[in-house]
Amino acid sequence: MVQSNRSDTEERNNNPARALDGRKHMIGKNRRKLIAASAVIAAGSMLLAAAPAQAAEQGVTGSTIKLGITIPMTGIASPGYNKIPGAMKAYFNYVNANGGVNGRKINLVVKDDQYIPTLAVAKANELILKDKVFALIGTLGTASTKAISRSAQLSARGIPSLFVNTGFSGFADKKAYPTSFSLLPSYQMEAKVIGKYLDENYAGKKVGLIYQDDDFGVDALNGFKQAGVNFAIKIPYASGSQGVAGVAGTWITKLQAAAPDVVILFGVSSATAAALGNAYAYKYAPKWILGSVGGDATTLAANKVPPAFLAGAKGLSFAPAPSDSSDEYIKMFMEVNATYNKGVTFDNNVVAGMTSAFLAVQAIKSAGANLTRKGLIAAIEKNAASFANPGLTPLGYSATSHVGATGYWIGTYDATGALKPDGGKYTVYTTDSGTGAVVVSTYKRPAMPAKGLPN
Amino acid sequence: MKINSLKKKLVVLVSSAALVTGVTAVVPAQAADPACTTASYVTTCVGATSDTAPYMFITTAAFNGTVLLWSHGLRPNVDIPAGIPGYGGYKVTNTPEPAPGGDKAIIGALLGAGYGIAGSGFSRQGVNVQQAVAANVELIDIFKKKNPTTTKVVAWGASLGTLITQTLAEKHPELVDAVALVCPATAPTDALISYFGDFMWGFKTFFDPTIKGFGYSAGAAGYAESMGDLVKFFTALGKLQAGLVSGAWPDTSSPAGKALEAAKVPSRSALTLIGLMAGVPMRSEHIDGTSGPTGSEQLFPLAIAPAVAVLENAGTVGLAEVLLMADGEAQSGGIVFDNTKTDYAARVDADKDVYSMALSGNTAVGAMLGVLAASPRVTGSAAAMAKAKTLLAIDGTIKDPTVLLTTESDQFTVAGAGQWMIDGYAEQYAAAKAAALKAYSANKSYTAPVNNLVALWAKTGSKYTKFTAAGSPDLSAAIGAGTGHCKFTPAQYVAVAKMAANVAKDGKFPNGGPIATAARKVGLSYDNKFRAPLFKSLG
Repeated sequence: MVQSNRSDTEERNNNPARALDGRKHMIGKNRRKLIAASAVIAAGSMLLAAAPAQAAEQGVTGSTIKLGITIPMTGIASPGYNKIPGAMKAYFNYVNANGGVNGRKINLVVKDDQYIPTLAVAKANELILKDKVFALIGTLGTASTKAISRSAQLSARGIPSLFVNTGFSGFADKKAYPTSFSLLPSYQMEAKVIGKYLDENYAGKKVGLIYQDDDFGVDALNGFKQAGVNFAIKIPYASGSQGVAGVAGTWITKLQAAAPDVVILFGVSSATAAALGNAYAYKYAPKWILGSVGGDATTLAANKVPPAFLAGAKGLSFAPAPSDSSDEYIKMFMEVNATYNKGVTFDNNVVAGMTSAFLAVQAIKSAGANLTRKGLIAAIEKNAASFANPGLTPLGYSATSHVGATGYWIGTYDATGALKPDGGKYTVYTTDSGTGAVVVSTYKRPAMPAKGLPN
Repeated sequence: MKINSLKKKLVVLVSSAALVTGVTAVVPAQAADPACTTASYVTTCVGATSDTAPYMFITTAAFNGTVLLWSHGLRPNVDIPAGIPGYGGYKVTNTPEPAPGGDKAIIGALLGAGYGIAGSGFSRQGVNVQQAVAANVELIDIFKKKNPTTTKVVAWGASLGTLITQTLAEKHPELVDAVALVCPATAPTDALISYFGDFMWGFKTFFDPTIKGFGYSAGAAGYAESMGDLVKFFTALGKLQAGLVSGAWPDTSSPAGKALEAAKVPSRSALTLIGLMAGVPMRSEHIDGTSGPTGSEQLFPLAIAPAVAVLENAGTVGLAEVLLMADGEAQSGGIVFDNTKTDYAARVDADKDVYSMALSGNTAVGAMLGVLAASPRVTGSAAAMAKAKTLLAIDGTIKDPTVLLTTESDQFTVAGAGQWMIDGYAEQYAAAKAAALKAYSANKSYTAPVNNLVALWAKTGSKYTKFTAAGSPDLSAAIGAGTGHCKFTPAQYVAVAKMAANVAKDGKFPNGGPIATAARKVGLSYDNKFRAPLFKSLG
């Protein structure tokens, strides 16, 4: 794969004006004034002539914007998550059918990385170099997203990575990942919220934990530590090992031996399903708390976990429940799903995909007609904290932070697998990825723009 | 005879047996005028420099005034017993090499284009940069005397030959008009030593503590120790290969290694960890790291492939470590590797998520790093380490237009060496630009610095692994592009040589388009924004 770039020679030799920081040299004062005047006139003419169609950024034409996503569409981690690109496309198509964004229609190129980080890097490179996308969106998994950022050199290339599908707190760090933006609350925040719940409801009880033995899990462990949670048993699993025959069974026998009262499943859907499926087979039934990453009921059902088995388990979310059709965003997403994503069951994954797309559309709109990668990043930093979105927690985007949602509500699964807020209303807790307290949020989210289209 | 017509004939003739005869010609043992023979318009000269380095140069009747001075890569300075993979049966040789590997297609193409070619076999093998540079300086003079129409000298080399070439260009920029560095080893001495040393230290610490690896005795005893190490190393490597799936550790493993085995940490995880902490590429000639056999499309790349890649790359790394360390220590007077302060946990921190399953998760990583932290380190000799720096003394300054060709997944001269040159030149260029601006402030005359570096890449493809019917990776299949050590096609070598020869004419590279096109035609990449990881020891 070869990119036809301006060469080092061109960049370095043929641009003395740039080398002189825009100053002209060896010209007399009068000529300088003349040139300056001409420049103003020329700039004015350009402004007058400038239509939204003039962007020269990769992946942007006068009528289109190309975004790319790499995500597990097949393989052990794919169930559920493989609905995210379809949901994104559905919302983009809805926007496109209503005139697009600043006159441009959004195309989404989808690649399957099977939840293999090295493959995710290859797919991201394909998206950037071959498909020539303007930006990445919604890459999934902590390891894959970190690997993409480093190996595809997103920072050096200035390529935006929008609303990554991972709660690893590091992605909110603008210094470490200057072009990446989180959307999900961090795993650390989630663990702190769970810690508060345990403290209020299970003080003195034995707690068990199954977690992914990488930065996903490290983030969670940090949060639990800050929340003061002591575990009777912690079971780490190497990412991917949940797909190895017999592995998940050993988790359950270890849990049975330790006999915790409450078990937190803090893994991806396939690991959560493997734990629950084996627990069912072993007739093991503690009080379950399902982390948000692996807690989608329809995904678990697709992994052969009967919804009824979830009844009474606790779960967390930062967006309204997918079953909550009284919520204006959920209602609109349901309608878009019915029209543009026909036959796909509406669930948390669909809500997640559409939420990312919904924010992306606003970000692109906010970046203006002359769409550039730099401009998009600046627009998110400047404006995205106040973007409309279904999330029930504040968004933390700013010039110094790329943190997205900042908290969770806790609910209980019913016999149909629907996660319902405890007490019949969303009590949203907000916190940070540091030592800040977990407090009840007073955030009032922005009203949905008319028809769910960006203003 | 018209030149064009002559050139056409030469293209055919130089590929013929006349050349082969020339390449094998007897070389005088000491400095004298070169002995030249001419057949079918091709003149082949052989001789020896004042330090007995044999050389050869070839020109044609259509010589265009530009000579390409080739410096070959590492040849061991000791015989290698039969049975050692890779170099078994090797006998020390200083046969002159006027073009990469004496390849007839390359020689034919270059002579056919009117260039002269020259190269030495050097008076010494092994770590021989200083001797090789001296030989090349003499050879340039000898060539010019014999070919007074010479106008331009292009120095080029591969692997260790790039250190020779770069040293020549740094010390004698006046003798060279352009440079080409192919599979560059151009990096600080410490980084090169650390790459090989870290790998071998980790390997012996886990898998066979009787491997010496460092601190070889002088003379015949040291030779016996180093050859013994090679036998032990490849034996352990074979056992690791046998235990790839089961996770079994070699029976030669250290007590700490066996404790890890008892704790269910598979040997492949330890091998992967060593590869990561040293900076060995995680892709190899046959392992792309993303493919899996039918039925194991996901688990194989996640759990097994990284270790297989390290295993495939390890043969070269281990062999080079033993040979280079033994020779380097002999010439420097002591141990030249020191890892007493190396933080191996920091080395793998950024990678441990990406290779989480291959490493068996953070808990296993913690256990393995615990073993490494508790194991005795190697203390280098300050005097020997200082001496070693004089043996491989480049600072990376680019004084002549330079073409760099780096393989993304080269296990011997890792891509970090090329990246180090690129980064260094970026600083050099920025300083030149700052100086030009300062000059402008003083005299209102701005002269932009001229770009002197074009970096080409052989990038590694994303899918190239083939599997046998039994589901094992097929290590006999064709190798993947952008992998292996200096695995370039003749067309790629020729393209690089011509690019360097062209810039030698007027000292200015063309703009990006022609460079990108020339690169693309031979399957290479010209991508200013591509960046390879630096050596692990350089952060």
